[in-house]
Amino acid sequence: MPKLRWPEWTIDPEQLRRLDLLEKVPLFAGLSRRQLGKLLVKLFEKGYEAGETIFLEGEPGKALFIVLDGRVSICRAGLGGEHRLATLAPGAYFGELALIDDQPRSATARADEPSALLILYKSHFDDLIEGHSTIAIRVMGNLLKALAGYVRAAQARSPSLSATLPPSGAAPE
Amino acid sequence: MTRERLPDIPKSAGRSGRVPFIPPPSSIIWAVGIAIMVLILYVSRELVLLLILSAGLAYLINPLVKMAESVAIKRGVAVTALFLGIGGSLIVTAYFFVPRLRAEVTALSSGSPSFTERLDEAIDAVQKEIMAEHPAARRLFPAREARYDRLNAFITQQTSNLPGLVGHLATIALGAVLIPFFAFFLLRDNQKIIQFLMDRLPAPHIETSVAVWCEIDRTIGRYLRGLAMDGLVIGAAAALGLWALGVNYPLLLGAFSGLANAVPYLGPILGGGMAMLIALIQFKGLGPLGNVLLLYLFIKVLDDVVIQAATIGRSVHLHPILLLASVTTGGHAFGLIGMILAVPAVTVLQEVSKLLLERRRYQAGTPAPHPGKGVHTQPYVC
Repeated sequence: MPKLRWPEWTIDPEQLRRLDLLEKVPLFAGLSRRQLGKLLVKLFEKGYEAGETIFLEGEPGKALFIVLDGRVSICRAGLGGEHRLATLAPGAYFGELALIDDQPRSATARADEPSALLILYKSHFDDLIEGHSTIAIRVMGNLLKALAGYVRAAQARSPSLSATLPPSGAAPE
Repeated sequence: MTRERLPDIPKSAGRSGRVPFIPPPSSIIWAVGIAIMVLILYVSRELVLLLILSAGLAYLINPLVKMAESVAIKRGVAVTALFLGIGGSLIVTAYFFVPRLRAEVTALSSGSPSFTERLDEAIDAVQKEIMAEHPAARRLFPAREARYDRLNAFITQQTSNLPGLVGHLATIALGAVLIPFFAFFLLRDNQKIIQFLMDRLPAPHIETSVAVWCEIDRTIGRYLRGLAMDGLVIGAAAALGLWALGVNYPLLLGAFSGLANAVPYLGPILGGGMAMLIALIQFKGLGPLGNVLLLYLFIKVLDDVVIQAATIGRSVHLHPILLLASVTTGGHAFGLIGMILAVPAVTVLQEVSKLLLERRRYQAGTPAPHPGKGVHTQPYVC
C-alpha cells in the first residue's frame, strides 16, 4: 500500500529539519518518526549568544537541552578554576538528569558560539511517557545506557570510586 | 545613659547634607506595575473576557493542531483546516438539532396555561399525594392561594432580568463571531508568540520561565479540555436518562445540565433542579420526581468517581476547602465566569508558587529534600 504523503505546500521544512535532528539524538534512538513527532511538539527553541550561560552548576534542573545549532561547553568548577568536561555539537544533548530527579545541576553549560537549543521540560516529558509506554521504555533504556556509560567512565578515571559504588546487581542500602 | 542614634547620612550626600534621589526598592516598582496592570485589565474587562474565552477555545482545539504539527504539517494550514472542519460540523449538527431544540424551547415557553399555573397545579397534585399518605403533613403546607401568590412573585422576580438578557443579545452575537476569530489567530500564531517571548527572556531565567509556562499551559489545558469532556459526557448521560424516563425536552435539559456542570458545586444542582421541575410539571407525581432525582444522583456519583477522575482530576490538585473558597470568591468577584475560571486560576497560582519557592530555596542555598533512602544524590553529569 503506498504511504500517504502530504502535499509539499502543507509541510513545514523547519519541523522536518528538527525531526531529522531528533532521529540522530542518542537519547531518542529506536523511536519511530511518528513517536519523534509527538516529542517534537513538546520542545521549545531558544537562541543563545556566544559566551552566554545556559545554566549554572548548583541551579535547580528542570529541563533537557538538545543542541540544534552551534556549540556548547559543559564545565565544572574545580580547584584550579573551571574546567571543561565536554564540547557538544548539533544532535548532542545535556541536562538529562533533570528528567530523572529534582537535584541541582552538577555542571555549568555555556554557548561557545551563537547557538540554538531545543528545550524539553521535565513535566512535558513526564506527560509524554505517561501516555506512551513504548516511548517511555525506549527513552528510559537509552537514559540507563548513558548513565551506565558515565559510571564506567567515572570508575575508569578514579578506581577508588568503585569501592563507594554498590556491586553490580546489588541494591544500595 | 543611652545615646540616641542619629540617622546615617549617605556618603554621597556631600557637604550640603542634601540626600540625592534614591530609587525606590524593586518591590515598590513591582507593586505599582501590578496595580497599573490590574487597572488596565479592569478598564478593558470586556475585551479581556473575550480574550479569555478565545484562549479557552484555543486550548480545546490545540491538541488537534499539535497532532498535525507532529507530522510536520504547517501550523497555519492545520489551524485553517481544523476551523473549516469544525465550522462545517457545527453547521451540519445545527441543521439536525436546532429545529428540535427550538421546538422544545417553544413548547416550554408558550404552553397554555401559563408556566406558573402549570407549576402550581403540579405542586398541588404532589401535596395531595403526600397528604393522602400522611394526613399529618397537611399543616406543613400553606393554603393554595398563598402558595400561588408566592410562586408568582418568585417567578416574576426571576424572570425580571430577562429583558436585560435580551438587551445583551447583540454582545452575545458579537462574542460568537469574535471568540472564534481571536481563537483562530491565537492558535495560528501561538508558537510565534512563545518564540518572541523566549527570545527576549534572559538566559538565567529561561528554565524557570519555561517551567512556569509549562505548568500554566498544562494545568489550564487539562482543566479546560477535562471540563469540556466532562460537560459532554454529563449532558449526554442526562439527555439519555431523561429520554429513557420519558421526561419532556431531554435534549434541552441534557444540554443545560452539560453546560451548568462547568460551574463547580452549583452546576449539578441547577441541572438536576431544572430537570426535576420539568418532571414535576409533566407527571404531577412523586414517583417520577424521585426517578429523576435518582438519575441525577447516579450521574453525580459517576461524575465524581469515574469521569472527573479521568478528566479534570488529573489537572486540579486543590484541597476541597481551597476549591470551595476559590469558587465562592470567583463568583462574588466576577459572577458565573468567575466561578468557572476560579479553579484553574487558583491551581495555576498554586503550581507557579511551588516552582518559584523551589527556585528561591535553591538560591538561598537550602539543600533539596533527600530523594529517598538508598538513592545516590550526587549525579555524574548535569
